[in-house]
Amino acid sequence: MSTAVMSAVAESAEQRAALRSARIRAVIFLLFTLASFSAASAAGAKEAIFSFWIDKIGGKDIILTFPIAVPWLISGAISGAIATLQFLRGASFRWRAAIGIAAPFYAVATVGALLDGTAANLTVLFTGTLNYAAPVAIGSLAGIISERSGVLNIAIEGKFLLGALAGAVASSLFGVAIAGPIAGLLIGAAVGLLLAVLGLRYKVDQIVAGTIINIGALGITNFLYLRVLQRYPDLNQPVNIDPVTIPVLSDIPVIGNIFFNLSPYFYVAVLLVGFFTYAIFKTRWGLRLRASGEQPSAAGTVGVDVIKLRYRSMILAGALAGFAGSYLALSGTGGFGMGISSGRGFIALAALIFGAWHPVYAFGAALIFGFADATQTLLSILGVGLPPQVLLAVPYVMTIIVVAGLIGRVRGPASAGRPYEQG
Amino acid sequence: MTRLRKLLATIRLPAISVLVALLVGAIVIMLSDLEVLGKIPQDPLGAIVLGVQRVYLAYTSLLMGAFGDPAKFGKAIAAGGDAVLWAKAFRPITETLLASVPLMFVGLAVMVSFRTGVFNIGGEGQFMMGALGGTIAAIVLGGAGLPTPITILGVVALGALFGAAWAFIPGILKARVGASEVITTIMLNYIANLFIFFLLVNWELIQREDRTQPISKALDKFVVIPTILPIEALRLHLGFIVALLLAVVVSWFLWRTAKGFELRAAGLNLPAARYAGMGAASSVVIAMLISGAIAGIGGAFEVVGTVKQLTTAISGGVGFTAIAIALVGGTRPSGVVATSLVFGALRNGGALMGLNTGIPIDLLFFIQALVIMFIAAPSLTQRLIRSPFKRRVKEATA
Repeated sequence: MSTAVMSAVAESAEQRAALRSARIRAVIFLLFTLASFSAASAAGAKEAIFSFWIDKIGGKDIILTFPIAVPWLISGAISGAIATLQFLRGASFRWRAAIGIAAPFYAVATVGALLDGTAANLTVLFTGTLNYAAPVAIGSLAGIISERSGVLNIAIEGKFLLGALAGAVASSLFGVAIAGPIAGLLIGAAVGLLLAVLGLRYKVDQIVAGTIINIGALGITNFLYLRVLQRYPDLNQPVNIDPVTIPVLSDIPVIGNIFFNLSPYFYVAVLLVGFFTYAIFKTRWGLRLRASGEQPSAAGTVGVDVIKLRYRSMILAGALAGFAGSYLALSGTGGFGMGISSGRGFIALAALIFGAWHPVYAFGAALIFGFADATQTLLSILGVGLPPQVLLAVPYVMTIIVVAGLIGRVRGPASAGRPYEQG
Repeated sequence: MTRLRKLLATIRLPAISVLVALLVGAIVIMLSDLEVLGKIPQDPLGAIVLGVQRVYLAYTSLLMGAFGDPAKFGKAIAAGGDAVLWAKAFRPITETLLASVPLMFVGLAVMVSFRTGVFNIGGEGQFMMGALGGTIAAIVLGGAGLPTPITILGVVALGALFGAAWAFIPGILKARVGASEVITTIMLNYIANLFIFFLLVNWELIQREDRTQPISKALDKFVVIPTILPIEALRLHLGFIVALLLAVVVSWFLWRTAKGFELRAAGLNLPAARYAGMGAASSVVIAMLISGAIAGIGGAFEVVGTVKQLTTAISGGVGFTAIAIALVGGTRPSGVVATSLVFGALRNGGALMGLNTGIPIDLLFFIQALVIMFIAAPSLTQRLIRSPFKRRVKEATA
């Protein structure tokens, strides 16, 4: 069989698989529709009582009362429309964007159902969601950059821990807020370089290399916390990076409180995601980056220094992840604590897989994880609904579902994880 | 003679890796000592002396904690046949063996999955679930007054079952939809922890009476795993022997049976194995089931035999240590057993080190990461240790 025929066969097999998973997706959306409608009928006339702070947190609030059935009905209708479109358009349907439209309604419906009639203020729920998403989105971005260049990156968790510790200590030592993020950035870059040397120079399996960083980071940060920070608590009293109030916009009632009074990390995350989306898909650097992740030999043939590019990407990715890690210790949590990242580095990985290695979609996934976490916090404060352990497990279970691709199969960069021999 | 040389060549790289990692650990101990650091400006030499003293104290406590105090052996010899003194002298060694038992189980578990090309980082969660299974079996069967051997069989069986079930999830997900086991197993570690926490505070069957903390009933009321040595103070139990037997069984299975060959083939070259008509997907699932079952048995023995109560801290990072053990042991059962003994010594000695010098045992995780790094990057290790070892390291890794 000639290569042309073989590739045609392969292509049609791939297309068939894509069509099949598109159909499965349509069925799943349909199931969601049915589930929403049945939830609506089960809710009956029960009302959700939500309130939002109007001008400032803890100030005057506006109370919204509506039957829980309403958001369920809207969610069901939207999923029904998505299911139909997915079925008609097949594999080319942009279902991730569609989920983005349905997600907020599901969010409202789920919270309403979980609260089951208990009145709750949701401003903090939404700010919590956005603040949680910030480090996760930046962590995902780090993963995207290194994996797009062709190096698997499972060490985000370790870089979060080291970034958090370095951020806390540097901020405490220098007494200026900016020292924390910079220290996180620097240590992350150093770890990124170490990963690159292990993976690219010494050809250590990239998963093993990532595991080395993760275990080593857990060990050394716990060790330093117990041996140094506990004995010298002054070293763990960082200058917190407080939420910033954006003038004018933050005066908008209700909305201003939610979107324009957040941790600076959130706005930096938005800027970074925007910038790198442009850089990855619209610039020469981005084209080279993607080429060396997909087809490094071709990139090498046309003169791209693949190894150098991968080194730089790893250092950049490390810097981003370390910077994101500093958030964990500097956002009013009382400095560094052992295991402060609690798996968020891995959740960032799941977000990048769910987001199909695209920064904007990964940010969306980070928001979903953030929402799960914020809901859990809200419910355990109010003491309603499920036991706290069940809620705490939600992001982890969601991560498994996402990684398993139960919603949609995704394909990562073809050459991520394979060493490249420069010819 | 050639066999001895071969053995030496095999253990040279792991041995060097552990030694260099301990050396780096020593530097970390010095650099994290603010008294040492503070002394450097005025008295650099004194700072170094103080640092070395600190490290010497730390590592000697580590050794004594792991292998015993020579003074106590001297006393025992002087006193002759005094069983209590001998027990005191030997206790650290038996505690080292005891500490190596969970490491052997999970090390073997992780090794089986590595051999099949599955990077199971979920030993931690599978071990915890096994511990949960063992706890339930001990309380139910032991509480029903069944004879000890049957209860122990039940403990082992339910531990294996729970561990295997927990490992089945990432196994089937990898086989069917290609979900990365690295992420799924780690998530399942967190979920296992929360699940056990939840049961410990909500399920009357296992919950300790009159306690709100997450802790189970005292298990020695229900069943006691027999100890190996006749002296009561020496806690080394049946689990040690089971671990050694399992190592033999795993070795036989992987290298002497057709299924084992299929698993290893899948690990070596998945496309080739598939081309040869071997069910690669089923290999992944089988490897994970075996892996989970072994880790689960380890958890069951640890909770029923050693710790005697279930808490969420039962695993203590054993899943991560197991990765280091599997890699250092050259993913061979004999190597895993030998490495488990070394790491068991570190773990057990680390406890005394912590007690005597306040150096947190978490340092060992860092040292383990270094060991994995040196093993995984032999040419790096070769660069670090110049000429005299150079040729030999090359031989060892060839």
